Amino acid sequence: MTTRFAAPTTIEAALAILSADRDARPVAGGTDLVVAARQGRKPLPASIVAIDRIAELAQHGVSDRALVLGGLTTHDWIASSADVAAIWAALADAASIIGSPATRATGTIGGNLMNASPAAETTGPLIVLGANVMLRAIGRGSRIVPVEGLAVAPGRTVASADELLTTVIVPPQPENSGSAYVRLEYRRAMEIAVVGAAARVTLSDDGRIAAARIALTSVAPTVVRAPEAEAALASGTADPSTFRAAAEAAAAAAQPIDDVRASAEYRRAMLVVVVARTLAAAVARARGEAIPMPASRWAHGQEV
Amino acid sequence: MSESQGEGAEPAVRPWIRPDGQAKATGQAHYTADLAFSGLAHARLLLAGRVHARIIRIDTARARAMPGVLAILTQDDVPERRYGSFDFVLDRTLFARDVVRFEGEVVAAVAALTPDQAAAAVAAIEVDYADLPPVLDVEAALQPGSPLVHDAIATYAHDLNLDPAGNLAGRSTIVKGDAAGAIAAAPIVVSERYVADMAHPVPIEPHTVTAEWSGDRVTIQSSTQVPFYARTKTAEVLEIPEHRIRVAVSHLGGGFGGKCDFHFEGHVAALARAARRPVRLVLSRREEFLAPDKVTHAMVVDIETGLNEDGTILARRARLILDCGAYASDTPILGQVASMMIAGPYRIPHVDIEALSVYTNRTPSGSVRAPTGPQACWAVEQHHDVLAARVGLDPVEFRRRNLVRDGDEGPTRQRHEGNGAVETLERAVAAILAGGPLGPHEAIGVASGWWFSAPGPSGAFVRIEGDGSGRIVTGAQENGTGAVMALPILAAEELGMRPEDFAITYQDTDAGPYDGGSSGSQTTFNNGRAVVEAAREVRRQLLELAAVALEASVADLELRDGHAGVVGSPDRRISIAELAATAHGGALLLARGSGMPPEAPEHDASMCVGRLGFESFAAPTFFCHAARIRVDPATGIVRTLKVVAATDVGRVLNETGALGQMTGGVVMALGNATTEGTVFGADGRQRNASLLDYKLLTSADAPEIEAIFVEFPASNGGPRGSKGVGEPPIVATAGAVANAIAAATGARVRRLPMTPERVWRAVRTGDDGAAEANAPFGPVPIGAAAGG
Amino acid sequence: MPELLQLTVDGVALSAAIEPDRTLLRVLRDDLGRTGTKEGCDDSECGACMVLIDGRPVNSCSYLALQAAGCEVTTVEGLAGVEALHPLQRAFLEGGGIQCGFCTPGMLISAVALLARDPDPSEDAIRDGLAGNLCRCTGYQPIVRAVQRAAAEMRGETA
Repeated sequence: MTTRFAAPTTIEAALAILSADRDARPVAGGTDLVVAARQGRKPLPASIVAIDRIAELAQHGVSDRALVLGGLTTHDWIASSADVAAIWAALADAASIIGSPATRATGTIGGNLMNASPAAETTGPLIVLGANVMLRAIGRGSRIVPVEGLAVAPGRTVASADELLTTVIVPPQPENSGSAYVRLEYRRAMEIAVVGAAARVTLSDDGRIAAARIALTSVAPTVVRAPEAEAALASGTADPSTFRAAAEAAAAAAQPIDDVRASAEYRRAMLVVVVARTLAAAVARARGEAIPMPASRWAHGQEV
Repeated sequence: MSESQGEGAEPAVRPWIRPDGQAKATGQAHYTADLAFSGLAHARLLLAGRVHARIIRIDTARARAMPGVLAILTQDDVPERRYGSFDFVLDRTLFARDVVRFEGEVVAAVAALTPDQAAAAVAAIEVDYADLPPVLDVEAALQPGSPLVHDAIATYAHDLNLDPAGNLAGRSTIVKGDAAGAIAAAPIVVSERYVADMAHPVPIEPHTVTAEWSGDRVTIQSSTQVPFYARTKTAEVLEIPEHRIRVAVSHLGGGFGGKCDFHFEGHVAALARAARRPVRLVLSRREEFLAPDKVTHAMVVDIETGLNEDGTILARRARLILDCGAYASDTPILGQVASMMIAGPYRIPHVDIEALSVYTNRTPSGSVRAPTGPQACWAVEQHHDVLAARVGLDPVEFRRRNLVRDGDEGPTRQRHEGNGAVETLERAVAAILAGGPLGPHEAIGVASGWWFSAPGPSGAFVRIEGDGSGRIVTGAQENGTGAVMALPILAAEELGMRPEDFAITYQDTDAGPYDGGSSGSQTTFNNGRAVVEAAREVRRQLLELAAVALEASVADLELRDGHAGVVGSPDRRISIAELAATAHGGALLLARGSGMPPEAPEHDASMCVGRLGFESFAAPTFFCHAARIRVDPATGIVRTLKVVAATDVGRVLNETGALGQMTGGVVMALGNATTEGTVFGADGRQRNASLLDYKLLTSADAPEIEAIFVEFPASNGGPRGSKGVGEPPIVATAGAVANAIAAATGARVRRLPMTPERVWRAVRTGDDGAAEANAPFGPVPIGAAAGG
Repeated sequence: MPELLQLTVDGVALSAAIEPDRTLLRVLRDDLGRTGTKEGCDDSECGACMVLIDGRPVNSCSYLALQAAGCEVTTVEGLAGVEALHPLQRAFLEGGGIQCGFCTPGMLISAVALLARDPDPSEDAIRDGLAGNLCRCTGYQPIVRAVQRAAAEMRGETA
């Protein structure tokens, strides 16, 4: 049972509490933490540090061509930012399909990452876009961790209990690149990815694939890269057969599980479809074609 | 009064504003959980958490000693009474006695000062169980030697039309002619198997019950759809006379059948008596999935039809196995209903349909909105498309040739009235085709069906107050459909008044006369008749007063625009307000309505067994749904673009209300058909008891819905020939979508719900993995059906 | 340890001493007597508990009450004036958007939030904007139409 509550207004004050009180856990929007407690999955921490009043954590914008997001940046802001849509489209694809309008108005990028769900929508896009996070603790300053290395298990990250995610930094994207995030969803809202894929594809001047990064959602204990698929794309022509081959490589290497949402067999088969469609969207964007946001709705009308 | 209306002018057409609407729109409407009590205690139930086990020991001592605990009850604390829905099979007790038979069975209940204290005490109750082998498969349950859900079933009292034995709670048949002989002689015979999973009603308001004692009387506020029935059963299990129990409903947050029957009123009343305080129970959403014993039936349908090369149906045989779960509930009667649905509104000379209600260790099934209708219609209407393809007919033409028309004979030789079945088909098809050419992976499917109206006793009082305003006092229950809210339309029509001139007192067993509750689409059908009858008596009283006042003959008088007047003499009239003032100095304007329910249509059930009252369908509603869908063949995801619901409701009495039933019914049906469905683990426990994984459609998923009403009034119907309208719209949608999926992909999905994974599997393999599909139809492979 | 919570609910400044683990929904309903906001689930999936916090839609069942300290909370009970209903309330009422009414408070709040950011939403935008509110009665169509009508009225396009 929660007995202690603090709502600091500065990062330093929050870190001081996290350092002094080993039971203390940060809460931003609370969309995940309170739900888990109410369902009896995980009790609320004994001590809560509400970080939603820390103005510094809510800052966001483009700085030196990088996207810099305070941990409190809402999904809503990301989904409606013209800059994000233009340059970091996969992240906008993901932010715009999280939960419901209320989830997006309250839920934060920091919370989504630190919750470390294997189904987290924004993690895959941030991985393929090469994002880092800054973790800060009192007395140790800040350290930079790639999003790819942040989660270690469902609900667990490399961050120690006294560390706070302060900032997500998404670097400028290569020329001739495009990105997308597509998930398989049974309904159009209030959904959790059955499987999902994020991709960033960079095209060479002759239109072939120069580089590709792919991350997969809901097929492993954490959101994971798909190196086999990336290898299958290397120097390939940007066409459906290449996408398909890469998607099959991703599926062959994945170890999806049976659960209430899908059988492993279906997940593996859907991974092929979702990866191929994600690649199609990312490549189309790399070519400058307009793919509507979110890419998921567009992609599932495609013949891939 | 309508002083502003010109003489002879028709009232302006205005939108129908439901009388409870403003309170609901402003948050003022109190639902059961919103009611305030002094000294309120909080209840929590201990649910079994396992599906089949013997209770070795229950020890509540540690829990009783915990802070704030006021009372803990088990079966030892209440009368040892077995009961059953409508006394079909008296197979259960209020709390588990010795054996738990499904995951959500109530083992004990706690009342404490706070919800947290109640939860802590529930967690501290010690129960030792010895697990028993779970019975989870209906066909295995019928085999000799199967473990039994009720090993003492032979000792249970039951309806004499039933012969429960083994795991069989009931067996019924609908038989006409010689189906076996006709099928043996038929040039074409098609046999198929369809399998439906269980689904939940999911009202947005969870079950909530409060109880407060005053001396030897208890007031139970409950989120029930059936207050009188809840009172009867509470009286029975607690051994209290009915007049000492008041069951009232504040506002009801939806039911869909899930709040029919008797749920937790007895537990909470007993807790409140023991705690000597008012007690409130509110189920969590997870509990709402597990504990209320009302879900749709999982069903196995083996169906076989013989037909001519021209597509004429000659005969039908079918065997339906209904999973009734741990307790029989009202499933035995629903086996009959399912059989009538498998016959459908089609001309079939020879019919032999058998329904078996089988016990398992799953959540008890029962009367969820049009119980068994959607599953049965989904199966038989796919079967009809298969038959059509077999003889090379378009599915619409196949139906056109076989649907019943005016004067045709039903499965037990009842005579059909009107051409609603064919007319709804033609109208639905025309409307869906008007949507233009189909895009890639798009297709159209249709499904036709019928559903009964449910005649039953029901009463109402109508009175006119001293100022000329009116009041309806009824026992009927408003579940949200607006059926009770629209009763003033009927009274106003009789009395020449406006609907808004009437107030309604409703859903309180201390106030209104008996009504069967909001179940079986029966409110307007039955209580509407009662209100009309009472209003007619008030009309007679008003006209007699007016005859004196106007010095005219009653025969020359009419009531309109709030006045009694002489027909044809606009100047000779007197307002109802003036007449009411006169009456309040003498004989009051006060009447009751009740009357005999319409009789069932003439039929011949002499060859049927297990007869519990659904050998014919009274005042049947006919309908056809047409769906336009798009399938993503790579993922199996089906998006429904449009549904046309054409329905013969006899007579539309309230268009706003009827439309709301259509749009709501179709979307509920689509959810049931595509994204819902309970998933069970190997241990028999529900795996998706949450709204994240039990997926209702959202507004972003719901299609455009076009409702078309066709009016063939029923001679033995409700007011003005109307028929039930609440349940029909949920019946045919799944079948229409299934047929559209098959048309789009060439693959038939014979499992319900038609989840993306199942559609995908069907598209890949040409079938969905229901291995038994197209298996030859054989004799019933059961020993237990006869009692083993 | 109870903490003092001060906030404004539907224009009225209120305070209550509450335990830090209590949700905004519980405090509204149990401590502040505002039962218009409903509880339909425990995982932010049904939307019946929707309120506005400083204009932002929030599932109050999953929001710690103390996080709303100093905020302006709007519930369904704060939408109507003393004399007149909110245009959305009237449109729901006249358009058959209300049946059992249990989803209505949350649905109205989501509609208010939607129209505040997009006064002229397309049908798809309305359907997406209300997708966090489950309704089992209406099939959504009457609600969507009601939002369209109210939006037009609020833009001054119709009476």
